[in-house]
Amino acid sequence: MSCEGYRRRLIDALASGEGSLTGDVAAHLRMCAECKKFYEAQVHLFGAIDSGVRAMVNETVPGSLLAGVHARIEEVRAPRLVWRPAWSVVALAATVLVVSLSFVRRSGPLRDASLTKASAAAAIRTETVPFVATPTKAASRAVNPRRRPRNKPETRIDRPTEVPEVIVLAEEGEAFVRFVARIRVDPQKAVALTRPAPLQQDLPVEIALLQIEKLKVKLLEPTTEE
Amino acid sequence: MRELVLTQPGSVFAGPSERESESCRARREFEERLAECGPLAYRVAYGVLRHTADAEDVAQEALLKAYRNFGRLREPKRFRGWLVRIAFRMALDRWRSVKRREKRETQWVAPEQKASGPTVEELAVSSEFQERLERAMGELPEKSRLVLLLAGIQGYTLEEVSEMLGIPMGTVKSRLFFARKQLAEKLR
Repeated sequence: MSCEGYRRRLIDALASGEGSLTGDVAAHLRMCAECKKFYEAQVHLFGAIDSGVRAMVNETVPGSLLAGVHARIEEVRAPRLVWRPAWSVVALAATVLVVSLSFVRRSGPLRDASLTKASAAAAIRTETVPFVATPTKAASRAVNPRRRPRNKPETRIDRPTEVPEVIVLAEEGEAFVRFVARIRVDPQKAVALTRPAPLQQDLPVEIALLQIEKLKVKLLEPTTEE
Repeated sequence: MRELVLTQPGSVFAGPSERESESCRARREFEERLAECGPLAYRVAYGVLRHTADAEDVAQEALLKAYRNFGRLREPKRFRGWLVRIAFRMALDRWRSVKRREKRETQWVAPEQKASGPTVEELAVSSEFQERLERAMGELPEKSRLVLLLAGIQGYTLEEVSEMLGIPMGTVKSRLFFARKQLAEKLR
C-alpha cells in the first residue's frame, strides 16, 4: 500500500475517534517519517476541531434563561386585554354578506334577462288590460303618453328597456296592430288618422256655486258696542 | 329536565375540575423538564448561532413552543430529543436569517470573544481557527451537525445522543465520523 493509502486510513481512524493505531498502519508510521509527520499534524487538527466544538456548545448558560421562559409562559397564560375578534362571528357575518351580495347581484340581471327573453310578450300583470302589443319605437312615442293618469286601476308593468309596449283596450287591440303596421308603410296617413286629444281635458274644472232657495243670507249689521 | 352529555366510546367525561388538575399536572411536569432541559436547548442554539443574546432568545422561544405543545407529546420520555430538535431548527432559521442580513448589509458581525484566556497572538490564531471552524460547521449537513453538537456537550455520551434523537447508535457514530472528516478536510 502506498503512503497515500495509509494516510487515508489514518484520517479515517482519527475521524472515528480511535485512540491508538494497530497493525500495518502503526508499522508503516514507525518506518515512514513523512507519514508520521502527517499523522501528528492530523492528530493536532482533530484535537483542535474537538476542542473548538466543545467550546461552542459548552457555553455558560445565562441565569436569565429560565426566568425569561417563565415570564413568556405567564404572558401566554394571562388573558389578553387586546381585542381579539371572535372568528366564528366574523365568518358568519362574512357569509351573510357574501350571500346577500350574490342575491342582490343575481336578482338584478336575472330579472332583466327573463324579461329580455320574454320581450315579445312583455310581462303585464293586470286584470283590466288583457291585450299587449309591441309596436315600433316611433309608434309608441306617438301613441303612448309619458304621463299615466293616477286614478286608473293599478297596473304593474315590468317592461324591458329595449322593446317598448303599448297598452290598449281589448276591443281596440286588433285595430291597433293594423295601425302600427300602417305606420311603417305610410306614416303620414297614420298621423292623419290620429287626432290630438281635446284641449278641454286639460282645462281646470269649474265648480258651480251652490244655491239653496229657502236660505236667505244676510250681512251682519254692525253693533253699537263696536 | 336532566342534562345529558354525549361522550366518545371509551372516553370518560372530564369535568372542569379534572381538566384543571390535568393542566396543573402537565404544567408541573413541564416545569421539572424545563429545569433539566433548558440549558441543553440553550447550548444547542448557541452551538449554531455563537451569539449569547440570540441563543437565549431562540432557546426561550423553543421552550415556549414546547410548553404550548407539551400536551400533544405522546411520550414524555422523548421530551429532551423533541426540544433539542425544536431548538436546533429554530436556531438554524435564525442563523440563516442573520446570514442573509449580513450578506445584504455586507457587514461582518464578529463573534463574541471571551475575556480571559491566552495571549493576543494565541487568541488571534485561535479566533481565526474558530471562525474557519464555524464556517465549516455551517456547511455540514444538518443531521451531522446536530449529532456533532450534541456529542460535544459535556455530560452526554453517544448512547445518550442516540437515545435523545431516537436513532441507532451506529447512525450516531457514522454521522459523527463523516462530520469530523468533512471538517478536517475543510480545515486542512
